[in-house]
Amino acid sequence: MKGKTWLFWGGLIAAAGGVLFQTSYDVQDLEDKLAGLNRKIVTEQESIQVLKAEWSYLNDPTKLEELATAHLALQPIEARQFLALDTIPMRPAPAPDAVPAPVPGRGLTPVPPPMAGLAAPQLASARVPSARVPMEAALEKAPVITPASLPVPAPVRAAPIKPSALVPASARAPALPPSPPAPAAATPGKLAPNAPLPSLNRPTDVASRPMPAPIKLTPVKGQAYTPKPTDSLGLLVARLGANQ
Amino acid sequence: MTQPPPYGQAPQDTQPPPASRPRTTLAVAMEQSRYRLMVTAAVVTAVFSAISVKLVAATVFVPAGEPRQHHALEVDGTTTNRADILDRNGNLLATSLVTQSLYADPKLVSRPEEAARKLVSALPELDYKDVYAKLSGDKRFVWLKRNLSPKQQYAVHRLGIPGVSFEREERRFFPAGNLTSHVVGFTGVDNNGLSGLEQSFNKRLTEDPATPLQLSIDLRLQHVLKKELAATVQEFSAIGAAGIIFDVRSGEVMAMTSLPDFDPQDPTGLDPDTLFNRATLGVYEMGSTFKIFNSALAFESGKIKVSDYFDAIHPIKIGRFTINEYHGLGRALTVAEVFQHSSNLGSVRMVQQVGIPAQKAFMAKMGFTRPTALELPENGWPLVPNPWREVNSMTISFGHGISVSPMHTVTAAASVINGGVMHQPTLIKRAPGAEVPGEQVVSRQTSEMMRRMFRFVVTEGTGKSAGVKGYVVGGKTGTADKQKGRHYQKNSRMSSFLGAFPMNDPRYIVYVLVDEPKATAKTYGYATGGWVAAPAVGRIIKQVGPLLNVPIQDEASPEILNATFLNAAGSTNWVAPPHPPATATTAKGSTVASFPPPAKQQR
Repeated sequence: MKGKTWLFWGGLIAAAGGVLFQTSYDVQDLEDKLAGLNRKIVTEQESIQVLKAEWSYLNDPTKLEELATAHLALQPIEARQFLALDTIPMRPAPAPDAVPAPVPGRGLTPVPPPMAGLAAPQLASARVPSARVPMEAALEKAPVITPASLPVPAPVRAAPIKPSALVPASARAPALPPSPPAPAAATPGKLAPNAPLPSLNRPTDVASRPMPAPIKLTPVKGQAYTPKPTDSLGLLVARLGANQ
Repeated sequence: MTQPPPYGQAPQDTQPPPASRPRTTLAVAMEQSRYRLMVTAAVVTAVFSAISVKLVAATVFVPAGEPRQHHALEVDGTTTNRADILDRNGNLLATSLVTQSLYADPKLVSRPEEAARKLVSALPELDYKDVYAKLSGDKRFVWLKRNLSPKQQYAVHRLGIPGVSFEREERRFFPAGNLTSHVVGFTGVDNNGLSGLEQSFNKRLTEDPATPLQLSIDLRLQHVLKKELAATVQEFSAIGAAGIIFDVRSGEVMAMTSLPDFDPQDPTGLDPDTLFNRATLGVYEMGSTFKIFNSALAFESGKIKVSDYFDAIHPIKIGRFTINEYHGLGRALTVAEVFQHSSNLGSVRMVQQVGIPAQKAFMAKMGFTRPTALELPENGWPLVPNPWREVNSMTISFGHGISVSPMHTVTAAASVINGGVMHQPTLIKRAPGAEVPGEQVVSRQTSEMMRRMFRFVVTEGTGKSAGVKGYVVGGKTGTADKQKGRHYQKNSRMSSFLGAFPMNDPRYIVYVLVDEPKATAKTYGYATGGWVAAPAVGRIIKQVGPLLNVPIQDEASPEILNATFLNAAGSTNWVAPPHPPATATTAKGSTVASFPPPAKQQR
């Protein structure tokens, strides 16, 4: 009996000791892991800091401007390129069952539709107020932006306000050929086909320029760029190279 | 047998009772050891129970255990000991990068000449003699080189020189470089701020390294400002320039530049002029720009209306001085014309009518008697005449005899046009929607009239070249002769322009000051504010307007003209021209009652 009791307690103590040692080693392992993770976090944070610094360094407006003037055909934004939202006319309400009412461009006397004898005039005149009001009102609010010296373009059906009328004079589209009156003969109930705008196919300024010479990417390795120790970029590049 | 003694008396000469046997030595010893055992047991029990109580308390009730060796780091934390500095859009202006520095313990270096030779081969920029002297010295610690790059560290590490080791250090890095050199400042080799905000916020930056310090500066504006200033300096062969872009509603400094500037990465060995911040530390006689405050003073006094005439023909003699016009018109001028043509004589006559005490009080209210509240350590004290005599009063009316910094001028001018509220300037970004502290210094009516005067100078006065279509620019030119010793010099001057936009509801001030511009053939021999600084301000506004989200307005529209119109006779009533040109449709609208009524006549 006595021997069994000893055995029981001895076994319990041994088991407890074993579990304790196991736990202790586990904890040590975890501590080591944590220390490793902490080191990694610190390294990552330092790398992030370096990357942030380099990002800011490369985003220096002075450098960006030099690069932009060397490689892009873009110019600084100017005041005339801005429009208030309420000066942009709404698209005229579509008339599903009628020939769209001819809404003349700004500064034009209303031109009667060429096919005056048909039923279209009544429909058109009925629609004129609703179609006219937002556009004309909007256009009256934007007197400066639409230069009065624009050549009066010939009216094109279903394109009452051409985009070219809204862009400033320097980007003037070529004068549109007078649209043939034929589309007006379309039967009521069908929309007149849009006259193709020649300005859409015109190559833009940027596209017509010769492509800038591609930047030769020199690998940042070895002799390509040897950072001077006093050079701040050198410091960065060196650090980045070492972090890889 | 005798009687036992009475109770309480000790038995005397009696036999011990027969029941008790005589105490032997053995019995005594037994009793003694029993007592000792009991005491020992009690002590042992007490100690062991105390231990068990402590054991239970320590193991069950207090989760003690060993102190943790490692604690998890915060992912968003920082490893550096100095906070970053950001611009208002979050671009880095200053940050700390971790580097390694090389030091040696000469006691542990066994062969100094060999170690020095190896070190110089790995780090060619070191000097052999210098390194050798350091390594063979008696000290226990010498720096060999600070802030090595990792490659250099690797090279030195490979040499395996005993006694040479590395120390983790931080290095301050300024990605924006020269662009913000005078605002951010720089730090020394031990990362202590030595100038600019690095100095004034040194404590804040080191105490709270995890939170970056966000400035009111906008890097893009800073770039535009510096570019145009540099172009102006080059065009007119000036010796320096200063520029400020200022938010008149919040007092935030959006951009501030002083030329020449420097690389904050390497600020050693520069001449003091390069480190000098002309925008805040330099105090200058501002010249005609001060007519802004003279006119505001005149309106505030209530004695002078914008349509009053003042003699601008006869020079004023006082003491040994004679005050004359720069380019006289030879007739009496209204207050509007005095401002438009920048007439010195008219300004003097105006202040004569107002009086010296009122002028003195007004200039103090404008903040011209003490440094501004700007957070920079480089904050100049104005030079104010003491005593404030009549001749000082006269010269101050056109901006001579009192020297203030450009920041003073801009802050005061902002309060004159923003509705009369003085906001102290700041370089720290204000939280959006936060209340801006301010103090009413001039009345709304005066401020409203000053806006018209500003606009008048650009539409028809000396500042025409600052005009930018769509931004309703207004402003005031300023040209001051520089004083060398006791005399004013004819051909060295400070030319400035203080521009604001949009004048119907001012948002920003753009100020440019050019130090000693030389006239060129293009400016017909003029180097005044209108020829030098005003075009620069125009170019700046043209570029920063879109960045600042200022809406484009039609300058010929009746709303704008009603708000900003002023003519030479001092009338603020704008009348639609009888034959409106191209903008016929809008001009017709001016009769509609929904437009704000024309502003009230000034008193």
